[in-house]
Amino acid sequence: MSVNWPERISAFSRSPSQFLCSTTAEIFLTEILRELRDDRANDLIKVLLLSPLLEHPTLLCPSVSVGEETALELMSVFAQCSPKSLQLRCHLLLALTSVLLCSSCVTSCTSASQDFLDVLFQMTQDTNDLQAGAAVRPLRSTACDCLRELEACHPGLLSQRLELLSNLRQQENSRLHQAYTGLHALALRNAVYLLTQQKGAGAEDLKAALGSSEGFVWARGADSEFHSDMALLSPLTLGPMGRVPTLQTGPDSKELRSLISSLLEESYLLTSLSQAALLQKLVEIVSMVPAVSPTIFRAQLLRLLGTCEVCLLHSTLLMKAAFTDSLFSAEDEAYLLKRLVSLSQHPLLSTPEKLFYMDCILHFPENRPISCGDENLPVLLTPRLAAALVPTLFNDSASMLARFNLLSLVYLEEGEEDRDGQGGRGLAYLYDHLTSLLHVMENQGSREMVVTFFRASFLFLLHFCHVKCYSEDLIQRLCDMYLRQTRLAPHLINLADRIQDRLVESGWALALLRALQRSITEAPLSQLTLQDFRWHLRILARVAEEGEVPQRATLSFLLSVITSNSSVLCVSGDWRLGNGLLGVCRRLLLHPSLDSLLTPLADLLQYLTCYYGDTDIQDHARLYYTLLTTLSREKLAGVMAQGGPERGRQAKVHSLSTIMTETEELTTGLTVHQTEEPVLRLVKLDSPEPDAPEPDSKSHNEANSESNSSPRRGLEERESYRAKLQSPGFVSEITLQYHLTHTGVYDPHFDKLFSIRLHFGLTDSNYEEVSDISVPCLFRTRKPPAVKLRLKPKQPYPTTLRASAVFTTEDGLSWHSSLADLHVTFPEVFLPLPGPLGWTREQKNGVFEEIWSEISSVASKGDLDNGATSLFCDQLDNWAVDKLVRNFQRYRISDCSELDKGGCKVLFFLPPQSHVLLRVLTVEENVQVHIATDNWKLLPYINSYLEDITKDLHTAQVNSDG
Amino acid sequence: MSVRALWIITHEKGESVAVQFSRRYPTVEHRAKFLAGSLYVTVPEDGAVLQLLLTELGLSDPDKPYMALRDDCFHQQHSPALELHVEGPGGGVLWPMLAISQGPLILACLPLVDAPAESRPPLASLFSVSQGLTLLAGLQAFLLGSKGKPDSEGLASRLAMMPFILLQVCPLGTPLDIPQPGASTAPAVPTPAGTQKQPAWKTGLHRGRAVVNVALTEMVRSMQYGNQSRQDLWDVYGTVTCKCEVEGVLPNVTVTLTLPPNGSPLLDVQVHPCVSSLDASILTATSVEDCDSSAFSGPYKFPFSPPLEPFRLCSYTSQVPVPPILGTYQLKEEDNQLCLTVSLKLHESVKNGFEYCEAHLPFFNRNQMGNVNVKVTSGQLDVSKEKNLLVWVIGQKFPKSREVSLEGAVGFSGQLPGPTDPLCTDLTAYIKLHFRVPDMTLSGCCVDQHSVQVYSSAKPRIVTSRELLSSEYYIWNSTGTTPILLRTLVSRSNL
Repeated sequence: MSVNWPERISAFSRSPSQFLCSTTAEIFLTEILRELRDDRANDLIKVLLLSPLLEHPTLLCPSVSVGEETALELMSVFAQCSPKSLQLRCHLLLALTSVLLCSSCVTSCTSASQDFLDVLFQMTQDTNDLQAGAAVRPLRSTACDCLRELEACHPGLLSQRLELLSNLRQQENSRLHQAYTGLHALALRNAVYLLTQQKGAGAEDLKAALGSSEGFVWARGADSEFHSDMALLSPLTLGPMGRVPTLQTGPDSKELRSLISSLLEESYLLTSLSQAALLQKLVEIVSMVPAVSPTIFRAQLLRLLGTCEVCLLHSTLLMKAAFTDSLFSAEDEAYLLKRLVSLSQHPLLSTPEKLFYMDCILHFPENRPISCGDENLPVLLTPRLAAALVPTLFNDSASMLARFNLLSLVYLEEGEEDRDGQGGRGLAYLYDHLTSLLHVMENQGSREMVVTFFRASFLFLLHFCHVKCYSEDLIQRLCDMYLRQTRLAPHLINLADRIQDRLVESGWALALLRALQRSITEAPLSQLTLQDFRWHLRILARVAEEGEVPQRATLSFLLSVITSNSSVLCVSGDWRLGNGLLGVCRRLLLHPSLDSLLTPLADLLQYLTCYYGDTDIQDHARLYYTLLTTLSREKLAGVMAQGGPERGRQAKVHSLSTIMTETEELTTGLTVHQTEEPVLRLVKLDSPEPDAPEPDSKSHNEANSESNSSPRRGLEERESYRAKLQSPGFVSEITLQYHLTHTGVYDPHFDKLFSIRLHFGLTDSNYEEVSDISVPCLFRTRKPPAVKLRLKPKQPYPTTLRASAVFTTEDGLSWHSSLADLHVTFPEVFLPLPGPLGWTREQKNGVFEEIWSEISSVASKGDLDNGATSLFCDQLDNWAVDKLVRNFQRYRISDCSELDKGGCKVLFFLPPQSHVLLRVLTVEENVQVHIATDNWKLLPYINSYLEDITKDLHTAQVNSDG
Repeated sequence: MSVRALWIITHEKGESVAVQFSRRYPTVEHRAKFLAGSLYVTVPEDGAVLQLLLTELGLSDPDKPYMALRDDCFHQQHSPALELHVEGPGGGVLWPMLAISQGPLILACLPLVDAPAESRPPLASLFSVSQGLTLLAGLQAFLLGSKGKPDSEGLASRLAMMPFILLQVCPLGTPLDIPQPGASTAPAVPTPAGTQKQPAWKTGLHRGRAVVNVALTEMVRSMQYGNQSRQDLWDVYGTVTCKCEVEGVLPNVTVTLTLPPNGSPLLDVQVHPCVSSLDASILTATSVEDCDSSAFSGPYKFPFSPPLEPFRLCSYTSQVPVPPILGTYQLKEEDNQLCLTVSLKLHESVKNGFEYCEAHLPFFNRNQMGNVNVKVTSGQLDVSKEKNLLVWVIGQKFPKSREVSLEGAVGFSGQLPGPTDPLCTDLTAYIKLHFRVPDMTLSGCCVDQHSVQVYSSAKPRIVTSRELLSSEYYIWNSTGTTPILLRTLVSRSNL
């Protein structure tokens, strides 16, 4: 089966991921290797077959073992190649290097990589074609390059073979000496660097290294240790800011010095690219070995300063950064800068080169830099010198902007000195240039020109926004231009956004938006075209995002446009246009001055609802109208801000519609969601705070307290109490206190809850409806808020309440969550005798006695209308009795001391009208609780209540005894 | 100092864009991954790279007037180093993507940022950037061919050679050389290694008669406004091109440039890397500062050892006291037609012997020309086929008075609209002069045949020549507004 390899390989190169969807890397690799071994395939195809291995070795050989196997295969192909197949053999070497390095075979020091390295080294030793002849020179050159790459990826690999490398370099006289030089220089640099990292290494070690002719230095043990030193792979950060490790050799470093000299002498014989690379390596070596003076480069300097090659001049600049005034005098520095300026505008240079030189000016390596930062002009760059680089209309965009930026920095001082808003001559030129650009752009300027103008404007404002006369004039010009070229609206919005981002303090963007709003709204309506109107809507929508800009003008403009042109605008029912209108409205709904805009905005929305020719727009207008008129400001803001990208501009994906995407958000915002599990609970507070006394009753009581202190017991109080009992509004509520807290369910989404509304539902008819309770907020991290639940019994029986809560989470969503049922126990309905606060114990006692006797008398008469008496007995010791009585603390009328006399009197008031009176007596080892109540239906509850507490006491007693 | 990957892209004015060739260097990528650590950004597949590159170059979606990604004003292109914003997992900013484009070709490469990844180093501190730029420029020159404009067949055949070219110039991501313009896949017959080291930039050895050819070309640019308030500008730049066929591995040749007495010094001198030594005084004068009269003014000696192929030995700029041709151009709009008055005067110091001399008068933002009623005192007048350009062929000589003039009126009654130009609206218009004067330079600079020294056994034949060429020589209408231009003159390709 013949395979169309060129097509397959190019499909693979185009998109490896897509290619490997239809096959696997393993199969593809096998196919390639099989074809490579096939003698019938020609060399061209085989070279092509190698390219996947050459370019994507990690895809095809993902592991060391696969890499190793592949490498062995390739080596055998290499061994069997016809000697004439030079190209193929070269490519095989490259592929082997890629595979072995990228599949970490070299790191793991596999046998294939060792063999490969030996093969390479053997080839390189055939200097001057003595054995294999000149024909295989390309192979030798490739072998050198493979070795260099191996050393680059595994620094130090050749560090013990420096003498051999040096000899090879010196012996070689063909053009290949360049390859040997590159290899030697890199190995030398890495070896010197490794020595600087060796403690106590000195002249002797350097000498030994230079004379070394041993084997390869395989990554000592772990690769990571080797590789953790970043500086091995990257050049040293040279210059005043960089810290260079040094090798202290003392004055004796003759060998190194002569080696560098000989490399420098022959540097002239290298191509510019290799020459620059060599210089770069030597600069690093000399910076690491202080014993070699940088002046060693002096002889090369003039040649380098005069060069027309960008890479050579660049390496000179880097040399200057490394050695500053130890190699470059002040004159050299001044000259170099002038050279850069003249090259930045040289007619014979290409634009990329000129731009690069301009960048070099901005990062000029000064001998004595004043500051280090991103873009700093060298001190020597005077406005006079920089005048050669003023931007002109004839520049291409990139050069123009680069010059504009550079000159802005040069003239920045002019702007600084002149804060009163005049600016200097240079600044005036830049502004003139900007306005010329604007003019050109308006005359059918291309899209590129438009973009260039806005970029130049941004640069200008970035530097000179404070120079009022220009920045204000620019606003005016931009507005005038906008009315003529409304299609530039997106650019203007972009400019406003960017200036606002970058110059937070400056109000320029706001001023521009205000001016644009004014221009749009004040322009004669008769000249308004539909196309203009579309752009206006974009601008007005952006203006509406600014809280500080009044929006009345916008609204009246929109109203007048759609009402006066209703026949065109509304009837046509253009969906996109309607969408634009709604986009403005939507932002206005969020505007801080919404209150004052309510009427016109409602008018506008209503108008759209009724007359706009597109149903979708009508629907949305109606929705907005409803939102506007029914939701609170906060909720509206929450709903509208939902998911709305911040000012709509950070969003990279511009949806077609401002409303469509938000519909879903809107629904989410307006829906009350249901939590899966209860997230809230109410926890009963143990010691309820006593209810605040009603103030009027207090004063009343005080007034009465004197007269009531008379020994006339009971009757009078009883009467007044009875009267009070009958009066409407008498204490008819019980108040229960809870803490509102989170349940154990942990969901960070509910950490902060707001506007919680608790709702309670009745399960029987014994209580009045319970009103909702509002809690402003609940944070998981803060103290839980206390909640007072007021219950109004119709009948004082225990009950169960259903509870639920509606609340808002931080993201503005509303939630509904049910709470566990709330059980109101019988004792929770108890209140102390609700007599006036000032009543003395005697007075209370009087009332007690009165009620007691009343009930007793009724009960004894057998007139079981409502009242009833009962007796509860139990066997309790003193301690338990004491505890029992303490249970009644709040309700006691008399002291515990009376337990064995008249008995300890206890009165429970149960709203609305019922009383339960107890007399607790100890009779020998027994405790008797005499019960009297005016509501006999309560007797079972009383009984079980007393049983409950005594049962507890019994268990407690047993426990304490035990 | 290596590149991670390399792309060659072709397009036709932003349309039918395609990656014609790409090359990835996985071992460099291996280093990049290690150096960048967690900040490593994978190089996407070719299709994605292409799209991102076009967006950065402002070429994507040409039919959309505004795209935030492409046109954001905040996004200042730091050309030639672009940022590619790669989306998706492993995404981030790929920087510095070097891209150069000419005509239908875009070449791009991604140099290895061989510095710790924490903060982005300045472009100027990255050695690999100038290496990448040099490599790209070299590949571009190779692909465009000798004419500087690719024919599709030539381009296709040269693209097919790329794998072999890269094997020589950049086999493993480290640029070693740039391809020779005439390079071929067949390896040249290597010269046996001798006792002297052969320069790496010398592909072979010349055998045969020694010939040294030195050609001096001077270009003059000018902006003339015919306006008292605005200073006219002109300047000169020159190049010396050599082709040396001299025997020996490292033969020595010296070329000397001389100026006439009182000639203004050569400025901004730049030399080819084969120049072996330079005198400091040659380099000192620059065009960006005023030079004093005592400055060094020659002779300028350039000792070098030549490569085999023709090369540019050196270049310079010069400031000459007068422009060779001084012109005025006046336009008046009358009765729906333009009245033209042009006069050109050849300076007396300039040799009155042209190879050609033409004045082009283009008209923009108007309909095609209808009736042309124009008279010239010398030469002849042609109307271009497109009827938007008057070509005044002045010929080989100015008349004795050294003055020629043109007068007349042009109506624009044609049916079709002519070309548009954003700059040349209303009465803003220009004349562009094209001329060549053989055997002269404006600066007076010359290479004397006898001053060329060749140190070799055989006596060489030495040929020298010089010429003056116009380049961007504009005369603006003095009755219209003209674009501001300070000292600099920069190429304007669309005119």
